[in-house]
Amino acid sequence: MKNLKLKILLITLSGSFYTASSLANNDLGGWQPQIVEKMYVLPPKHLNKVLNNDFNSSSLALNLQSTDSNVKSKIKKINDLKKMLPGLSSEEKMEINHQIIVNKRDYIKDMNNLLKMKKQKLNTKKIFFKKIETKLKNKKITNKVNSKFFENKKIAMTRSQKIDFKVLEDTSNDFLSKSKYFEQYQINKDAVKKLQLAIEKHPMNKHSILSKNPQNKLEAINNFVHSIDSEIAVLDMKEQMISYMAKIVALDAMSLAESVTQITDNQNQNKIINYNDPINAISFFTE
Amino acid sequence: MSQNFKIIISTLLSLTFTSQIIASPIETLERERANTLSYVLDKNISVSDRKKFLKQSKMRLLDLERMAINNKNISTNPDYNTIKAFENFDLTFLVHSSLEKGKSLSITWLERIGLTTNNLMNTKVIRK
Repeated sequence: MKNLKLKILLITLSGSFYTASSLANNDLGGWQPQIVEKMYVLPPKHLNKVLNNDFNSSSLALNLQSTDSNVKSKIKKINDLKKMLPGLSSEEKMEINHQIIVNKRDYIKDMNNLLKMKKQKLNTKKIFFKKIETKLKNKKITNKVNSKFFENKKIAMTRSQKIDFKVLEDTSNDFLSKSKYFEQYQINKDAVKKLQLAIEKHPMNKHSILSKNPQNKLEAINNFVHSIDSEIAVLDMKEQMISYMAKIVALDAMSLAESVTQITDNQNQNKIINYNDPINAISFFTE
Repeated sequence: MSQNFKIIISTLLSLTFTSQIIASPIETLERERANTLSYVLDKNISVSDRKKFLKQSKMRLLDLERMAINNKNISTNPDYNTIKAFENFDLTFLVHSSLEKGKSLSITWLERIGLTTNNLMNTKVIRK
């Protein structure tokens, strides 16, 4: 019975964690890169572009844009309110200041959400590139294992291509009759040679050779990950700025509350006399 | 009832086993190579017949060798036989090897396994 209760408790706890995380994602929107396996062979620069295009069609990008426009509208409102301050009575100024503080608070909330969403985007990108890095490293390991076989296959290909012309010479003497595959092989081989020459002459070929090399690709991906890490570090600093802004707004709100209570005190003219103070009763004893 | 059940089970099993059998290009090549070598080693056929059979199989063997060399799927997870086949190019790809050396297929194979003219001439019959 005890074990059963423990199991139920564990299941409900783990379930609550999952629901909590999914709720958190729904508030800011989500982004799961919908990239096909074949796109992994693209050079890192193009892969980054594909990733950015994929992000632009996600709910996170929409929320980011709407939050960004909210932040801009808050800044405009605060500036407009500040411009209204000169030439107003003290009560009106107080009201305007109150509005400014409210808008600053909303700005801080929106800006905080904006930074969270930017961080989420960067972390998702980082995870994606890390996955590619792991795949490339695993491919390197399997290639090391099969490298001797690949070498032998390459040698076999080269030897086969070298004696193609000898085969053509011998077909007239030794071979009984040419098969369909034999004839098609010759036609396709010539076509493949022409295409290979065209690829070698293509201006983009040198550029792609550098990116096809797994070592270069790993380096490029490491550079991307490094730049993402530095962007995340900058966002952390901006989050710190927001926390200081929030402190200032809190202090502004405190000073506004003090000035409001001061005014109401002055209006009511409440003087607190402490009747229990002996100094006030000295006259009773000295006269 | 039990007999029907046995028939059904055996057909199902045979289907599962046969569905997984896909001959690799190396296996097909090896089969044809064995067939060709059987003509080389066959004592019961005449010289002209042997020549005719070898001409027929040489074309097929050349096509199969080219298919095996140019096959891209062979590179993904090659099995032991494929690895060994590519390690011993001269023994596996007999037509290519014979054309490279400018010798007949049978002589290329016999020399590769050590049955050269010199070796044969140097053999002696010894009584133990």
